[in-house]
Amino acid sequence: MTEPIYRANVLVCAGTGCASSGSRSTMAALEAEVQRRGLQNEVRVVETGCRGFCAMGPIVIVYPEGIFYCQVKPEDVEELVEETLVKGRVVSRLVYEVPDTQQAVPLYEQIPFYSKQQRITLRNCGVIDPESIDEYIARGGYEALGKVLQEMTPSQVIDEVKASGLRGRGGAGFLTGLKWQFTAQAAGDIKYVVCNADEGDPGAFMDRSILEGDPHSVIEGMMICGYSVGAHEGYIYCRAEYPLAIKRLHLAIEKAHEYGLMGKDIFGSGFDFELIVKEGAGAFVCGEETALIASVEGRRGEPRPRPPFPANQGLWDRPTNVNNVKSYANVAQIIRNGAEWFSKIGTPKSPGTAIFALTGKVQNTGLIEVPMGITLREIIYDIGGGVPDGKQFKAVQTGGPLGGCLPASGLDLQVDFDSLRAAGAVMGSGGMIVVDEDTCMVEFCKYFLTFATAESCGKCVPCRVGGRRMLELLTRISEGQGTMADIEMIEEIARGMDSDSLCALGQLTPGPVLSALRYFRDEFEAHVLEGRCPAKQCVALTSFYIDPAACKGCGICKRACPVQVIEGDRRMIHIINQDGCIKCGTCQEVCPFDSVIKLSGETIEVPTELIPVGSFGK
Amino acid sequence: MPDVHVTIDGTEIAVPSGSTVLEAARIAGIEVDTLCDHPAIEPIGACRICLVEVEKQRALQPACTFPVSDGMVVHTRSEKVVGARKFVLQLLFSERNHFCMFCQMSGSCELQNLAYKYELDHWQFNRPMPTYAVDASREYFVMDHNRCILCRRCIRVCDELVGNGTLGLKNRGADAVIIADLDVPFGESSCISCGTCLQVCPTGALMDRASAYMGASDQVERVKSRCMGCPVGCGTELVVRDGQVIRVEGDWDAEPNKGLLCVVGRFDPQHEVRERVRKPLVRQGDAWSIADGEAAYGLVAEKVAAAGDSVATVASGFVTLEEAQALGSAVRGRKFYMYDLPQTDRTATMADLDEADLFIVTEMDLSLDFQVAGMAVKRGVRKRGARLILVGEGENGLADWASMRVGRADLAKVIAMAKSAERPVVVSGPAGLAAAREIVSAVPAASLASFAPGGNGRGLCDAGFGQTYAGDAAKVTVVVAGETSQVEPGLLDALKKQEFVVVVASYREPWDQVADVILPMPTAFEKSGTTVCADGQAGQVVAAMSTRVPTLEATIGMVAEAIR
Repeated sequence: MTEPIYRANVLVCAGTGCASSGSRSTMAALEAEVQRRGLQNEVRVVETGCRGFCAMGPIVIVYPEGIFYCQVKPEDVEELVEETLVKGRVVSRLVYEVPDTQQAVPLYEQIPFYSKQQRITLRNCGVIDPESIDEYIARGGYEALGKVLQEMTPSQVIDEVKASGLRGRGGAGFLTGLKWQFTAQAAGDIKYVVCNADEGDPGAFMDRSILEGDPHSVIEGMMICGYSVGAHEGYIYCRAEYPLAIKRLHLAIEKAHEYGLMGKDIFGSGFDFELIVKEGAGAFVCGEETALIASVEGRRGEPRPRPPFPANQGLWDRPTNVNNVKSYANVAQIIRNGAEWFSKIGTPKSPGTAIFALTGKVQNTGLIEVPMGITLREIIYDIGGGVPDGKQFKAVQTGGPLGGCLPASGLDLQVDFDSLRAAGAVMGSGGMIVVDEDTCMVEFCKYFLTFATAESCGKCVPCRVGGRRMLELLTRISEGQGTMADIEMIEEIARGMDSDSLCALGQLTPGPVLSALRYFRDEFEAHVLEGRCPAKQCVALTSFYIDPAACKGCGICKRACPVQVIEGDRRMIHIINQDGCIKCGTCQEVCPFDSVIKLSGETIEVPTELIPVGSFGK
Repeated sequence: MPDVHVTIDGTEIAVPSGSTVLEAARIAGIEVDTLCDHPAIEPIGACRICLVEVEKQRALQPACTFPVSDGMVVHTRSEKVVGARKFVLQLLFSERNHFCMFCQMSGSCELQNLAYKYELDHWQFNRPMPTYAVDASREYFVMDHNRCILCRRCIRVCDELVGNGTLGLKNRGADAVIIADLDVPFGESSCISCGTCLQVCPTGALMDRASAYMGASDQVERVKSRCMGCPVGCGTELVVRDGQVIRVEGDWDAEPNKGLLCVVGRFDPQHEVRERVRKPLVRQGDAWSIADGEAAYGLVAEKVAAAGDSVATVASGFVTLEEAQALGSAVRGRKFYMYDLPQTDRTATMADLDEADLFIVTEMDLSLDFQVAGMAVKRGVRKRGARLILVGEGENGLADWASMRVGRADLAKVIAMAKSAERPVVVSGPAGLAAAREIVSAVPAASLASFAPGGNGRGLCDAGFGQTYAGDAAKVTVVVAGETSQVEPGLLDALKKQEFVVVVASYREPWDQVADVILPMPTAFEKSGTTVCADGQAGQVVAAMSTRVPTLEATIGMVAEAIR
């Protein structure tokens, strides 16, 4: 049966963000509506991978026009089909509006969120049906594998990848081609390629989006790598929390077998390759390559000292090449378009693009892909749309929980491996969290340190114990019990962890604290010296007061207080009893006159007994 | 391996390529402190005490795992290195309960020694001191997690050397805790109480019940000796204080056990509850009287003299070669070994066990008997992927390790498999010896490790005790038992039928059921001599404590004196 020729394709994003905002029901409603109107031979509804603009999900794009609809609910579907697919009109209430200007932007490529992006690694994500190998092939998929197997020697492949300047997208930025060369040169007849898909940073979902949205790109990259290093077996280590990614990987591997693109004698070249998906149990440390290998082997996922590096002694002690999902996903395009094409994208030392999961206090949260060398300001303001609610930008954390933060003065910094590292932040695997003036940097550090210490494997002493001690010190500071010596001790532990820990997890755990101390030291000192949390976030250091001049004596706060510590009466100035206050902020939320104020490190004069409204200070 | 040149603390030396920095430093005579490392197991670089500065490396590197390369320059005592070690020690002391004065390891503790060496005179960091329950569910030793530094030596010896894999970790990071099996009490786990973990624990986390608080390392002497408990013949180190053996440890330098012991060798002597024989005992009806020396020896002399050649001497495996020779020349009549005789053809050594690709174990449970040999089998299966075939029915502690179990009738299948193996080793006890012989005779590549109860069986055979005792009638039967507790009921029944039974033994039980006279005998801790283990290697038993109990030679002398 031949497929009908469709006049329109409706792409429904089913990435992580959109799926959580309900794209599956939107998808079902669309399919039903298309059926109901008998359009199933004219209009095709396609479930795609992540489109990136998660804040606006569920996202529906109608091609060939490229109309971009945001936050499409099942109840919008009837109108969408009626207007756009039957009458050819744009449903203006569903199109994207630029927040500041309220200008409607109906077309995908004109939306500011996308206009500064350059989608290379994610080029198929949100565009093709990830479960269709034909769509991948239609976009040039497996061309590179064919070229490699039929026209290139393994060393030519390695030279091409080296010439492209591709650096490992797992975060450390080691030259991918060089890594391949080490594995290729290592002694041994059995070798392995391993894909590190153990994405564990809170809030990061780049690898997940690629595996869910374009699994074949990773598979093709791994096979090219396998050919060049002399491996015939590959493992994808993907965390079990990514069931859709795992399902699609299995499907993709099955399809590749069916099409003769995997298995024995691929393209008649004599090259054999098999791929195995290994599900991880979700330990962050298994993203470290030696821990990952231990986990694949069925042992407790813990790193071991390097050397020996996996290139010489990896999986089952055989030479093994381990790369990140994004690194492999770039390979096929480098082969297809040439190393020169790739090396011209981005900066000379960090060619290509970077993918970030942009989250926190920005208008447009989501998954973005930008050329290396773009500034943080462009990412946060032009793509991200800046900080919402008129708040002030405070800091941006790159590199996830092991990364570092940069203040406003770092906004014009170029995003690439070396510039970020020099500034005390790291590229990491791509988390980017923006915080505004309401975030306390001590609390911010505590958050990441809590994560890192919970994920420490416990093998080496500096990470296992040092992280815990540092967290205790930070907690003390945030509770107003800290001393200046505590700050010094944090720095001492940080130095020790950095230089003495076994793996990158321990070495980089102090990163957020060190960078925060570098750029926001005054904030730490305010906690210690003045008992003041400048962002008014640390509970122990903040208090709520009812402004006696503004209180109208309405009693709403008194009724709402969950611990009943507000004293007051009709037309009397209300008073919060500080001793019992749990600082939940409910009074501030419910007060219709904005008379509840939150203070840190200072107090205001309030009446000592109930007095009539308007009489205070008279 | 070609040599590479490295400079350590300014000294240039040539070391074999593939060495670690720690090995290179040892060759250069430079001591690098370690904590999680132990010479008997693979290094893991976990504790970070052995960190050294390797030029051109960004971070400090663990000497125990870092391989040397040509031209490498290493500093083991730089300010940075010392600072890092202090930092690690401070962190360790902040982690759990390390109040040394309450710990039985104080004075012998590797952590404490390092703290003195690096002059830790105060706690630098906060110490919340979480409390962990002490696990005292094992009979011989106790696990106190509060003193554990998570160096994992216990886990690693249990895995790498013992092959049992009982120990592991639960939880991550600072919450990590050593566990047995799937976190069951140690006493209910698959632990075989070999005590290897106890021997390698650097702190007081594992505590020997018998020797706790009995003496720090500078208050004790160590005597290298040999276990006479079974024909494996393990080298031991007897830890002695004030003339008493307080603990038995495995001798790391000894063949065939390389530091390992089993519960019989390590714990049984310290937990002996039988009544010691210190003076001669003479039966009077159903009662026993402590006899005046002369009367007892006179009675024995009288009976022996009257018996002429109708004397049967039965020796246990706790009799040394020298004792056997003394008996041989002094006592007339026939000489017997108490148990089945060891076999001596195509003997497999422990080295053969450690290279085998196929184990065939006939009619025995190596998890219960001859455990140190059983450890070699477990190691082989776990670490080298060797196959294990169990011949014979019934419960067997190695059943989970076995790739195949067959009945005695299926030997042809086993022989076929053995023929396709490169280095098959057959392990048997007395019950399976016939089957074992059949396999070995059909498979030229196979060797045979045959174990029978008793330690010095081969030595006794060599000394003329080359027959198994089967209740042979004699006017006087002399049983030279030593401290053996391995006594078959059949033996006692046979002895009950004898006219006059003299037992020379260290302990009264079970001989008081059958003997007419019991004469005292030193234990293996109290005497020196030679023992020959199953693979034919001789080992020296060395007295570690003095005793007023006469030696067997002296007893023979006193009896001879009385005859004259």
